[in-house]
Amino acid sequence: MGMSKTEVLVNNTQASDPLKGKSLWIDAWQRLKKDKVAVACLIIVILYAIVAVLSGVGLIAADWGAEVGPSYAAPGADYWFGTDIFGRDVLSKVIHGSQVAMSVGLISSLIAIPIGVTLGALAGYFGGWVDEVIVWFYTTFSSIPQIMLLMSIALILGKGINTVYIALGLTSWVGLCRLIRGEVMKHKNREYVQAAGAIGAGHGRKLFKHIIPNVSHIVIIFTSLQFQIAIKSEVILSYLGLGVSGQPSWGTMIDDAKLELARGVWWQLAGATLAMFVVVLAFNILGDALRDALDPKLKGKD
Amino acid sequence: MSLISFKDVTVDFNTPEGVVRAVNGISFDIKEGQTVGLVGESGSGKSVTSLAAMRLIPNPPGIISGGQILFQGKDLVKASEEEMRKIRGNDISMIFQEPMTALNPVFRVGDQIAEVLMLHKGMSRKEAWQKAEMLLDQVGIPNPKASIMKYPHEMSGGQKQRVCIAIAIACEPKLLICDEPTTALDVTIQKQVLDLMFDLQSKYNMGMLFITHDLSVIADIADDVVVMYRSNLVEQNNTEAIFTDAKHPYTKGLLSCRPSLEKNPSRLLTVADFMDDAGNEIEIDQAKLVPDEKKEKKEETPTLLEIKGLSTHFPIKGGLFGRTVDHFKAVKEVSFKLQKGKTLGLVGESGCGKTTLGRTILRLIEPAAGQIIYDGIDVTKLDKDQMREMRSRMQIIFQDPYSSLNPRMTVGEILLEPMNLHNIGANKEEKIEKAKWLMEKVGLTAAQLSRYPHEFSGGQRQRICIARALAVNPEFIICDESVSALDVSVQAQVLNLLLDLQEEFGLTYIFISHDLSVVNFISDEVAVMKAGEIVEMDKASKVYHNPQRDYTKTLLEAIPKGIPKSLLAKQQ
Repeated sequence: MGMSKTEVLVNNTQASDPLKGKSLWIDAWQRLKKDKVAVACLIIVILYAIVAVLSGVGLIAADWGAEVGPSYAAPGADYWFGTDIFGRDVLSKVIHGSQVAMSVGLISSLIAIPIGVTLGALAGYFGGWVDEVIVWFYTTFSSIPQIMLLMSIALILGKGINTVYIALGLTSWVGLCRLIRGEVMKHKNREYVQAAGAIGAGHGRKLFKHIIPNVSHIVIIFTSLQFQIAIKSEVILSYLGLGVSGQPSWGTMIDDAKLELARGVWWQLAGATLAMFVVVLAFNILGDALRDALDPKLKGKD
Repeated sequence: MSLISFKDVTVDFNTPEGVVRAVNGISFDIKEGQTVGLVGESGSGKSVTSLAAMRLIPNPPGIISGGQILFQGKDLVKASEEEMRKIRGNDISMIFQEPMTALNPVFRVGDQIAEVLMLHKGMSRKEAWQKAEMLLDQVGIPNPKASIMKYPHEMSGGQKQRVCIAIAIACEPKLLICDEPTTALDVTIQKQVLDLMFDLQSKYNMGMLFITHDLSVIADIADDVVVMYRSNLVEQNNTEAIFTDAKHPYTKGLLSCRPSLEKNPSRLLTVADFMDDAGNEIEIDQAKLVPDEKKEKKEETPTLLEIKGLSTHFPIKGGLFGRTVDHFKAVKEVSFKLQKGKTLGLVGESGCGKTTLGRTILRLIEPAAGQIIYDGIDVTKLDKDQMREMRSRMQIIFQDPYSSLNPRMTVGEILLEPMNLHNIGANKEEKIEKAKWLMEKVGLTAAQLSRYPHEFSGGQRQRICIARALAVNPEFIICDESVSALDVSVQAQVLNLLLDLQEEFGLTYIFISHDLSVVNFISDEVAVMKAGEIVEMDKASKVYHNPQRDYTKTLLEAIPKGIPKSLLAKQQ
C-alpha cells in the first residue's frame, strides 16, 4: 500500500504535471519542421531578429554614421554595398535599418493584437447590439483608405519612429478583428462550449479559457503576415517623408535613392530593397506554412 | 459475368508515421442487378474500398498499391484519368452519407442534376432540365416542376438525399455505390429512402455496393454481404447465411450488439465478447449468450424531476431592423414526471424539439413558460449563482464526441475543470486521483490523462464526455443522442457503460434519441415527441408492444427489422 502511494508520488514528480501532454503547439511545430522551405524562412527571420537586436545594442554597425570612404563609392571589395553621399557604408545602414523594420513589425503587432482580439471576440461571442456596434466601428474605420489614415495619424503625432509604430498598429487591427469574430462565432456554438456552460462555467471562462485558445492560431498567422505588411508600410511612410528620421531605415534609404538613381547610383536602393525582399518573402512563406501547421481542421479526424 | 470484381485490391496511405495499409488484399464480385452490402466499423477500410472503385482516393497520400478492379472486364486501376472521368457519374455513380454537404448550396437542384446529363450524355440544357424533372418525380419529390427551381437549403434532409439519388441515377449507371446513405437520416425517412433505392435498383437492373456500419440496415436489401475488419475482408456470404450462420467472431459480434425490439437483454453483447484485441476468437461466456431479461424497475421511487407546462420559443427576426416578428414554438407546454434512478427515453424525428427540451430542462436555453421542479426546487426561479451550484447535480452528454471536447485541453484538464468550478476535492492531488478513478470507471486508463482529445477514437471520446459529466457527482444526466454518432459495435459498449454507471451510482437519465431500438433497450419509460409536444408517454414495454398513437406506430414500423426478408418469410 505504502509502495503504491510512493509510486504515484514519484510518477507525479517525474512528469512535472500529469495533466500536460504533447500539446497541439508542439504537434504543429513537428509538422512545420518537415517543411524545409518554411524552416529556412524561419531561420532567415531569426537571423534578421538577431541582427536587429545586435545593432540595437550597438554591437554591430554602430559606426553607420561615420564617414568611411569617398562619396558614392561603387560596391566592391572594400565596401560590399558601396557608400552613400556622405561616404557612409551602405551595408551598415542596411543592417541598422533592420532594427527599425523588425521593431515596427513587432510593436505594431503588439498594438494591433489586443485591439483586434478583444473587439473580435466580444463581437463574435455576444452578438446582438455589441456585435452591431463593433462591426459598424470597424467597417467605418476600414472604409477610410489606409494610406490616408496613416498619413493623418503621422501628421497629427509628428514625425518619428513612435508615430510609425502607433500609426501602423492602429490601422492594421481590422483584418484580425474580422477573422477572430468569425472564428469565435463558429466556436461558440460548438458543443464543447455548451458543455462548459453545463458544468457551470460563466461567459468569461467560456470565452477566455475555451474559445480564445482555439482561435489563437489566427493571431500567430496574423503576426507573421503583419510583420511584412508593417515593414513595407514603414518604407512607404518614410518614402513619403512621414517616417523615421535621425537613423537609417530601409524607407529613408529608398527615399534617398530618388535623387541618386539619376546619377547612376543604384546600390543604396538595391541594398535596402534586397534586405526587405528577403525578409518579406520569408515572412510570407512562413505565414502560409504556419497556417497549414496550426490549422486545427487538419487534426483529429485523420 | 461479374459487373465489377475486386481482385486482391490493396490500398496504402503514406503518412508521416509510415505507410498505413487501409485495404489489405480484398477480393469480391458484384454481378449485374445484385446488391452487395459492405459492412465494417469506421476505419475498417470500407469507404476506401468504394473510393478505389471510383479511383477517387486522394493521391498523395493514398495509392492503390496492388490488385485489379475489373469493371466489365476493364482494369480500372490501370485506366487513364481521361477514361475514369467518362466512367464516373456515368457507368459508376455514388451517393454519399451527408446530403447536407453533398449538394452545392449555390446551385438550383435542377442545375445539379442537369450537370451530369450535359456532361455525359451531351444533352442540351433544355433537354437535361426536362430529364431532371422526370428524375425528381421518379425519386418521389413532390411537385417536381416547382422543386426543380429550389436551392438545397429549401429542402429537408430526406429530400436532399433523394436529389442526390436522382443525380446518381441520372445516367442510368451500371453500378451504384452508396456510402452510408441513410445514416444521417431519421428512421422513417431512412425506410422511405431504402425502399426507393430498392425500387430503382430493380427498375434499372443496377449493381449496387451498399456501405454501412449497421448490418440491420442492409438485411432487407442486400443479396450478399462482405464484412471488413481492420482493412481485411473477414467474411463474405449470402445475406441469409450471414444472419443465420456467421463464421467470423467479428460478424457474430456485430449481429448481436444491435439492440432489437424483440429481445430485451439487461446488457448487450459486444464484439469484445466474441474476439480479443488481436482478432482471435475467444470462448463465449455461455451465461452471456442467453442474457437475462431486463428487469423492469417496478419499485416506486420518489419523483426527482417534474416538468410542468414547459415551453421554449425562439424569436423569428424580420423586418428592416431585425426585430422579433414572431416566435417559433419548439417546445409546447410539455409536462411529465421522472422518478429517481429511472431512465426516460425521449424519441422523435429531427426537429421535433427533443434536444431543445433537454437543454431547456438544464436551462442552457431559457424557457418561455412553465416550471422545472428538480428535487423540490423550482429551477426556473434560481438566480445565476444558485444555478451554477445546481449544475453540479444535473449534467449533459452531447451527441458529437468530436466537437464536445475542447481540442486545446488535455483530458486531465477537461476532467479537472468541473471539479475546480464546484470545489470538489481538497487539493490538486485529490482531484487528480479522482480524475484517474473516473478514467478507470469509464473504461480508459489513468495514463491517458495527459493526452489530447484528437488522440482518441469516437467511442473513447464519448467515454471522456461521460467521465466529465460524472466529475461533479451528478444525480441526473441528460444523454442527448449520445450514441448516435457511434458505430453499432461501439454504441453497445457505451450503452452498457451507461447502465453499469446507473446501477452503481443510482443515476437518473433522460435519454434523447431518434433510434427507437436503442431507447427501448435503455429506458424504463418512453415519451414520443412530435412537433414540440409529447404525444405518447408510458412504460417502455407498453409503448413498444401496444402503441396507442398512429405516429408511434409509424415510427416503430420504420425500424429496420435486421432480418433478411427471405428469412422472415420462412419464420412465418
